Amino acid sequence: MEKRKVQWRFLAVPLIFYTIWVIGPTIYTFYLSLTEWDGLTDPNFIGIQNYLDLFNDSIFYTSLVNNFIWLLIFLLVPVVLGLFLAILLSKKIRWAKGFKAAIYSPMILAPVVIGLIWSWIYHPKAGLLNNTLTYVGLNFLTRGWLSNPETALYAVIGAAVWRHTGYVMLLFLAGLTSIPPTLIEAARIDGATAWQRFRYIILPLLKPATVIVLVITMIQSLRAFDFVNIMTRGGPFNSTNVLANYMYTEAFRNYEMGYGAAVAVILFIIMFIFIFFYLRRIREEELSV
Amino acid sequence: MNYLKKRKYLNAFIFLALLLFVIAWLLPVFGAFLTAFRSMDEIMAKGFWTIPEKLSLNNFKVAWTEGNLNTYLLNSFIITIPALIGTLFLSSLAAYALAQYDFKLNMALYLMFVGGMLIPFQILLIPVFKLSNFLGIYNSYWGLIMIHMVFQIGFCTFFLRNFMMTIPEELSEAARMDGCSEFKIFYRIYLPLSKPALAALGTLEFTWIFNDYIWALVLIRDNKFKPVTAGLASLKGNFITSWGVLVAGSLLATIPTIIVFIFLQKYFIRGLTMGTGK
Amino acid sequence: MKIKKLLPILLVFSLLLVFSSVTMAETLTVNTYTSDPAPRKAMKKLVDIYEENNPDVDVQLNITAHEDFKKAIRVWLSSDDPPDVFSWFAGNRAKYFVDKGLVMPFTDVWNEENLDQKIPRAFKSISFFEDEAYFLPHSYYWWAVYYRESIFAEYGLEEPQTWEELLEVGETLKDNGITPFAIGTKFKWTAAGWFDYLNMRINGPKFHTDLMHGEVPFTDDRVAEVFKKWKYLIENDFFVENAAAYSWQEGLQFMTQGDAAMYLMGQFINDAVSEDVQKDMNFFRFPIIDKDVPVGEDLPTDGFMIPAKAPNPELAKDFIAFLASVEGQRVFAEDMGRMVPNKDVPDEVYDKPALKGKKMIENTDALAQFYDRDMDPEMAGDTMDLLMKFWQYPDQYQSIMEEMEQVRQKVME
Repeated sequence: MEKRKVQWRFLAVPLIFYTIWVIGPTIYTFYLSLTEWDGLTDPNFIGIQNYLDLFNDSIFYTSLVNNFIWLLIFLLVPVVLGLFLAILLSKKIRWAKGFKAAIYSPMILAPVVIGLIWSWIYHPKAGLLNNTLTYVGLNFLTRGWLSNPETALYAVIGAAVWRHTGYVMLLFLAGLTSIPPTLIEAARIDGATAWQRFRYIILPLLKPATVIVLVITMIQSLRAFDFVNIMTRGGPFNSTNVLANYMYTEAFRNYEMGYGAAVAVILFIIMFIFIFFYLRRIREEELSV
Repeated sequence: MNYLKKRKYLNAFIFLALLLFVIAWLLPVFGAFLTAFRSMDEIMAKGFWTIPEKLSLNNFKVAWTEGNLNTYLLNSFIITIPALIGTLFLSSLAAYALAQYDFKLNMALYLMFVGGMLIPFQILLIPVFKLSNFLGIYNSYWGLIMIHMVFQIGFCTFFLRNFMMTIPEELSEAARMDGCSEFKIFYRIYLPLSKPALAALGTLEFTWIFNDYIWALVLIRDNKFKPVTAGLASLKGNFITSWGVLVAGSLLATIPTIIVFIFLQKYFIRGLTMGTGK
Repeated sequence: MKIKKLLPILLVFSLLLVFSSVTMAETLTVNTYTSDPAPRKAMKKLVDIYEENNPDVDVQLNITAHEDFKKAIRVWLSSDDPPDVFSWFAGNRAKYFVDKGLVMPFTDVWNEENLDQKIPRAFKSISFFEDEAYFLPHSYYWWAVYYRESIFAEYGLEEPQTWEELLEVGETLKDNGITPFAIGTKFKWTAAGWFDYLNMRINGPKFHTDLMHGEVPFTDDRVAEVFKKWKYLIENDFFVENAAAYSWQEGLQFMTQGDAAMYLMGQFINDAVSEDVQKDMNFFRFPIIDKDVPVGEDLPTDGFMIPAKAPNPELAKDFIAFLASVEGQRVFAEDMGRMVPNKDVPDEVYDKPALKGKKMIENTDALAQFYDRDMDPEMAGDTMDLLMKFWQYPDQYQSIMEEMEQVRQKVME
C-alpha cells in the first residue's frame, strides 16, 4: 500500500548520487577492461583480449599469490595478536588506556611516514633490525630485507601487520565489553581454567566481533596497495607486487588503462566472492534470530 | 588469600610485559619523531637511529611555510566536513529504508551498497575525473566533496543498516499508530538512537576522508584547492626529499585526526560492534 | 527627505564608477614539477620577476611533486581547463604529447625571439617536431662520476680517464676498505644511468639512441658487451651491498659518511649534501672505454610546453618568450648551478663546477636525455625492472636480455 512506496522517498537521493558517482564509473570500468586505452585519446574496443593476456601474465599470477600470502599472514598474525592484546587489556591493568592508544597509534600515522620509517628499520647497514640482531649476537640473520626478493614481501607485510594489529585489537575490545564479566567469574569459580574460559565462553560470545574482524582483514589484505607502493613499488622485480599495485602500475605508469581495468575487475570479483559468502552467513544468522 | 596474591603478581607481570612490548611497538613512531626534529644534513652524516646532536623545530617551520600548511589544512576541512555530514545523512536515509521496509529489491540494493565497499577506488579515478570534468566541477572543492560523500555511502549504509536493525520494531509501530509520518519516525526516533553508530562512523570517516590524497591529485589542478595530504606530497622533490620536513609536515597534518579521535573515542569503542546483532 | 533617498543611489552609482575603472588582472596558470627545494625557490623567483615586468598579470604557480605531476598532467591535458603553461622533459615524453595533439606550437614566438641564434643547434632537435616548435628548453644538467676529493687525496688517486684507470682506482679503494661506488637502486633509474653510460661508451651514442627508441633488439651482441662489463663490476664488489634496499638518497649516505668514494649521478647531487661535503665534491666524465667510439653524455633537459586547450594562449606565449630570454633563464643558472640553453647568459653567472660541466659538454659529440626519458614509458618501466633482476643475478644476463627483448616486441608491435 502506502508502505510499499515510502522506502523510495528515503532511497531516492542517496541512490541517485550513488549511481552517478559509483555505479556508473564502475560499469564504465568494466567496459574499459574490454578496451585498449591510454587515458588521453579514445578507448579502442578489443573484446576479451585483456583477459586472455592476463591468463598468460606471470606478473598477474605472482601478484595474485602474493595477495593470498598477505591474506594468510593477516588472518594469522594481527588477528591472533590483536585478540590476545584485547583480552589482556580488557582486564584492570595500570595504564591500560595508554597501552591501547599506543598500540592503535600506527593507524593514525600517514602511510608515507610509515613506509619511510620501516625502510629505515630494514636498512641493511644502519637499520634498527640488523643492528639489533648483531647486538644480540644473531649476526648471521642480517640481510637486505627489502632488497632480497625472498624476504621483501614479508618485510612489507610486517609493516602492514604493525599497523593492522591495533585496528583488530580495538574491534575485539569493543566485542569484549559486551561480555558480562560475571559470566567469566562464575566459570572461574566453577573451576574452569583460563583456556577453558576462553574457549567455551569468550570465543563464542565474541563471534560478531570476530566476523567483522575477519571481513575487514580479508578486504584489507586483498586491497593492499599503500605499503607496496611506498616501500618497494612492487619490486625487487615484482616479488612484492600485489593486484592493486599491479593495476595501478599498468594504468598509470604504462598507460594501459584497459589492462589495468581488467586487473581491477578480477580483483573486484575475488573480493566479491569472499564477501558474498560472509553476507550469506550474516543473513542466515539474522533470519535465525 | 593465595589467589589474590597470585592475581597481584600476575597483573604485575602482565603490566611489565605489556610495557616492554609497547616500548618496542612504539619504536617506529619514536623514529618518526626523531626524524622530524633533526636536520637533513645531520641525518645524512649520522644515520637514522643515532642520538641527535641538535634538535630543532626548523622542519616544522619549513613544512608549514613551504608546504603552505595553513591553506591546505583549511582546504582539508572545507572538503571533509561537508562530505562527512553529507555521507552520514544520505547513508542514514538509505540505511533506514533498507532496515525498516520489506520490499523485493531490498537485498539487491543492500548488496549494491556493500559492493561499493569492495571496489578498489583506483579504477574509478579516471571515470570520475571524466564525470567531474563533464559536470564542470573539476578543479573545485565540489568535485572532491561529491566523490568523498558518495563513495563512502556504501560502507556507511552497510554499517548503519546493521545497526538500525537492532532497534526494536515496537518503537516505530507505536509511533505509526500515534499517526507519525515515516519521516518523523526516522528523524525523531531512529536518528537519535543511532547516535553512537553515527559518532563511530564519523570518526572513521573523518580520518579516511581527511587523509585522502589520490582523489585530490586527480581532481584538483590548482594548489589553492589542495587538501593537506596532497600539499604535503608536493614537498617530495623529484630527486631530493627532505625527510625531516616531510615527516614533520605529516605529523602536523595528523593532529586534527588525533583531536577528533580523542574527542569521539568513547562512542567509537562502543559503537563499532553495535551493528552485529548482539 | 529627498536627499536621504538620493544618498544610497549616489553611493551605488559611485561604487559602480570605481569598479568600472579598475581593470581586471589577467591570470596565467603555470604548473610545474619543480618541487625540489632549490628549483622551487628559483621558479618562484622567476614568477616574481615576470609579474614585476607585467603588472597586469597575476601568475598562479602550482608546484606538484614530480611523480604525482607525471600522472596529473595527463588529467590536466585532457580536461577542459588545463593550465596555460606546464613544465615537462624533452625527449620521448614531449613527443608523446605532440603526437596526440595535446600541445600547441609556438613557432611564431621562436622566430620573433630569434631563438635560432640564441639557443645551440643541438637543442633544436628536442624542441621541434615536424618543423614546429613545441618544447622550450629551459635548463639542463649533466651526469658525471662524482667523488670525494678528500678520499682521493688520502690514497693519492687521480681522476681516471680510461676504464683501466677506473678499475685501478677501484682496486686501491677496495684495498683500503672503501667501497668504490655508492648507489641506491630502489627506484631503478640509478641503475638505468649505469646502463646508459656503459652502452654509450662501449657502443657509441648512435647505437644507444636507436636502442632507446626500440629500433634495435636487446638480444644484440653489443648489448651483451654492456652487461659483461657491468657484471664484472658487480661481481667484484665495486658497488655497495644491497643497493636495491636504498633510494638514491639513502645510497648517498655511504658517500657522505666516507664509506664510499664515488657516485654516478646528476649534478643535483650537490643539493642533497651538506655544505661541508659540497666543498669536498668534484666530478669527472665517465671514463672512456673505447677510444674510437664517439663520446655521448646524458643531458636531461627540462623545459616548458603549452597545452592545446590553454585558456590564455597569447599570455602563455608571452610567458614562453620570457622563459627563453636571458632574464628568464639567468635565475636557474645563478641560483641552482644548472645550465641554461640561452647563449647570451654570461659566463659569470655560472659557478666553477658549472663551468667545468659546460666545458665537458662542449667537448661531447652527442647528447641523450636519459633512459626513461628517451624510451617509451612502458618499455622503460618493464626493462628497468629487468635491469634490477640483472643486478641481483648478474650471471643470468643472457636470459634477461631475452626477456628485455620480449618487452620490446610487445611494446613496439
